[in-house]
Amino acid sequence: MTENEIAAGGSPLGKEKSAIKINKVRKVFTRNDEEIEAIKEVNLDIKEGEFVSVVGPSGCGKSTFLHIVGGFIDKTSGEVIVNGKEVNKPGPDRGMMFQESTLYPWLKVDRNVAWGLEVQKLPKKEIKERVEYFLKLVGLWEFKNNLPSELSGGMKQRVSLAKVLAFNPEVLLMDEPFGALDSQTREMMQAELQRIWSESRKSVLFVTHDIEEAVFLSDYVVVLSKRPSTVKEVIKIDLPRPREISIRKSYDFVDYRNKIWDLLHEEQNVKQLRGV
Amino acid sequence: MQNNSKKWFVLTSIGEILFFLLLWQVLSITSWFPTYVSSPVEIFSRIGEMFADGSIYPHVGISLYRTILGFLLVVLIGTVLGMLAGFFKPIGNFFDPLISFFNPIPKIALLPVFLVWFGVTDVTRILIIFTSAFFPCFIATLDGVRNINKLYLWSAENMGASKFKMLWRIILPAALPKIFDGWRVALALTFVMMFSSEMIGTSTGHGLGFMILNADSYGRVDIVLAGVFIIALLGFIFDRLLILLRNRVLWWSER
Repeated sequence: MTENEIAAGGSPLGKEKSAIKINKVRKVFTRNDEEIEAIKEVNLDIKEGEFVSVVGPSGCGKSTFLHIVGGFIDKTSGEVIVNGKEVNKPGPDRGMMFQESTLYPWLKVDRNVAWGLEVQKLPKKEIKERVEYFLKLVGLWEFKNNLPSELSGGMKQRVSLAKVLAFNPEVLLMDEPFGALDSQTREMMQAELQRIWSESRKSVLFVTHDIEEAVFLSDYVVVLSKRPSTVKEVIKIDLPRPREISIRKSYDFVDYRNKIWDLLHEEQNVKQLRGV
Repeated sequence: MQNNSKKWFVLTSIGEILFFLLLWQVLSITSWFPTYVSSPVEIFSRIGEMFADGSIYPHVGISLYRTILGFLLVVLIGTVLGMLAGFFKPIGNFFDPLISFFNPIPKIALLPVFLVWFGVTDVTRILIIFTSAFFPCFIATLDGVRNINKLYLWSAENMGASKFKMLWRIILPAALPKIFDGWRVALALTFVMMFSSEMIGTSTGHGLGFMILNADSYGRVDIVLAGVFIIALLGFIFDRLLILLRNRVLWWSER
């Protein structure tokens, strides 16, 4: 599937309603009077309930792309449409999870999860119920009275996930959420995320540099080119769900992994030949 | 173990102070120190007398009133302006050059201007205290706000928090450790400037700084040093109170 086919209005990512539609998004940074084109043109169409990962060579602007979808930084041109509405600012329709914990260190775990709900002025009773439900979902209800500083990195990210899920966003945006974790914890978190995702059925746009993580979790993996980035290829991951951790050893899995690996390294070789 | 090391620390601190007082006393008795430097025994007996006959209380009262009022104004105005300047870029840009220009000025140099303007009044004194202690408070707050983890704010924006809510519920608590550092510097400065501001004299005849100057003109070094000691003691007590408050408010902080 190529970028042109997607741009042509084809719908490679399924048949149902769009959850996130990215039309010709471009980003140019200006630093010290110098213009740097980070994203040349990205088009994507993510359908409701799909899990889509974005991978790309280091520094290709995949995080920048996700921050644009989240509305945290401005795009130079193009449009981001979430459930039919164009978005330019951050909003609770798109729940964002970052690589670093964004839990507030002065609030206990349950108050952290409740924060977004309090901002939205939900009834007290509903806040309580949601906090309990989502902390139980991520398996950390018994830590509700702990401070974030008392939790491990993996636990913090699970609370962050509960915090984002609790305010019930229409889509989830995840910026290398497990990137700072050790590999064992990361695998566990991936399995956990798959379980939670299959329960909540939210559309997810997931940015990662970890190819296996992308293959394991996703319905589609979007491979970006080096900077200025464009969509190099969209790969459908046709592996049965639910996926066990051991699926990583299967031939199909390894095939997908190798294919994406080759695509990424083509990009990096070009870079080397140019002597950059 | 931890309790023991704390006890040890307190004991050595007291021992240190006692040692220096003893040394001072010995040097005074053996006339190694010039005779116009009073000995610790003289100073402490003077302090004892002043508390016994109650003559010290009006001095302490009026000085504390000026110091605390000045400090509270600094905390209120310095912290609020610092937060706004740190959060809203245009406000920060407005203040940046002003701070660089006014901060290095010794505020006591403005005393003649304030004197002409407001006379020998508490307004002049508190202005001197305020203008001196404002800057460390403002700068620490501004710095604290500017260095907040950007993701805290993004995460709050993501959940639909208004600017006001972010200021009050994210930026204030996140910058508070830094703000307390600023308050601590400001508090010490208010005590320093309290003394300086009382050098202009007074109509009521009260204030520790005034008491010290007055004693000096009569050559009573024992009273001068007694006054200095009382200022140090008050400064010490308020510094401890501020740290106590800090530990109360920032119970979650790892420090």
